[in-house]
Amino acid sequence: MTNTVNSGEAELTTTDTRADRFVRELAELKIPDPAAGRAALWLRVGGALMVLGLVLAGFAYFMAHSTTDPLAQRDAIALALGGIAGCVVGSALFLRYSLTGFLRYWMARQSYDVAALADRLTEGKVNDHAPR
Amino acid sequence: MTPLLELRDVRAAYDRITVLHGIDLTVGAGEVVALLGPNGAGKTTTLRVAAGVHPVSSGRLLLGGRDVSGAAPRDLARAGVCLIPEGRGIFPNLSVRDNLLMMTFTGRGREEIEHVAYTRFPVLGRRSSQAAGTLSGGEQQMLALARGLATDPAVLLLDELSMGLAPRVVSALYEQVAAIATEGPAVLVVEQFATAVLGIADRAAVLVRGRIEQQGRPDNGMRTDLAALYLGSST
Repeated sequence: MTNTVNSGEAELTTTDTRADRFVRELAELKIPDPAAGRAALWLRVGGALMVLGLVLAGFAYFMAHSTTDPLAQRDAIALALGGIAGCVVGSALFLRYSLTGFLRYWMARQSYDVAALADRLTEGKVNDHAPR
Repeated sequence: MTPLLELRDVRAAYDRITVLHGIDLTVGAGEVVALLGPNGAGKTTTLRVAAGVHPVSSGRLLLGGRDVSGAAPRDLARAGVCLIPEGRGIFPNLSVRDNLLMMTFTGRGREEIEHVAYTRFPVLGRRSSQAAGTLSGGEQQMLALARGLATDPAVLLLDELSMGLAPRVVSALYEQVAAIATEGPAVLVVEQFATAVLGIADRAAVLVRGRIEQQGRPDNGMRTDLAALYLGSST
C-alpha cells in the first residue's frame, strides 16, 4: 500500500505494506508475562500449606494425648514441628504473594492521592494570586 | 525476510494428551503453505495455536518475528491474524450483506467491505439479501473468505476449505486463495484432500501424528509419499 502523507510543505510518500503494519502493531502489543500466572499458583500453595500445617499440628496434638508411649509421642512432636514449619513457610508465601497485589494497589492509590494533592495545592496558589 | 508466521518447536496438548510434538513451520508474506495430513494428525490444533486460540505447552509462536506465545487471541486478531474455521463460521440466519456488515467492527466502512467482497466474489453481490444458510456450500465458503478479507488480514489461516464441496468449486476457491496471497498476506491452509491445494501452494508440510514428516515444495514425489503416509505405511 502506498500512502501519501502531507506534512506541512513537504509531501512524503511512504511505502507501508500490510506486513510492515502487522510487524509494527505486534511490536506495540502488550503480552502478559507468563511468570505473572505463577504468582496465583504460589498464593494457592501458600494458603494450602498454611491450612495443612495447622491441621497436621492439631492432629499431632491429639496423637500425643491418645497414647502414653513416649516413642509415639516423640513422633507426634516431630509431626507437629513439621506442621508448624509448613505453616510458617505457607504463611510467608501467602503474605509475599498477597501483599504484592495489595502493595501494588496501595502504591497506585498513594500516587493518585499525591497527584490530587499537588493539583489542589497548585489550584490554591493560582487562586491566591488571582486579582480580588 | 522475517516470516510473518513462525512456529518453533511447538508442542500443544489437550489436558494430558500431547497432540503436537515439536512443530517447526514458517509462512512468509505472500506465501501459501499447505499443511496436509490424515484425520487426527493435529492440523486444526496447529491452526488454533497459530491463531493464539490454543495455548502452546512449549516452544514459541512468532508473528512478524515477535514471540507472541501467550498473547490473547483477540489481540492477535486485532493485529491481523484471521482464522477461518472448519464449518465456515458464518451466521446462517443473517443475510449475506448482514454477515459482511458484522465485520465493520474492524473499523472498515460498510461500502469498502461490500466492495471488496463483491469484487472478488460477484455471486455474493447477486445474493446479498439472501440468508447465508440458504447459499450453496461453495458460496458459504466464499462468504467466509470475504468476511476474513474484511479484517484486512496479514496472516490468513484456512481450515479445510474443501470440506463437503465439489472438486470444481474447490479449484475455484483455491484460485481465489492464490489471488489473495499475491496481495501480501501469509496464508496457511490446512487440508485433508491434497490435490487442489498442492496446485497453488508454494510449500507444503505433511503432518502425521503431531509431527511434520515431510516439508518442501509440492512435487510429484510429495504426492506419492502422501498416499503412503495417509495409509500409514513408511516410505
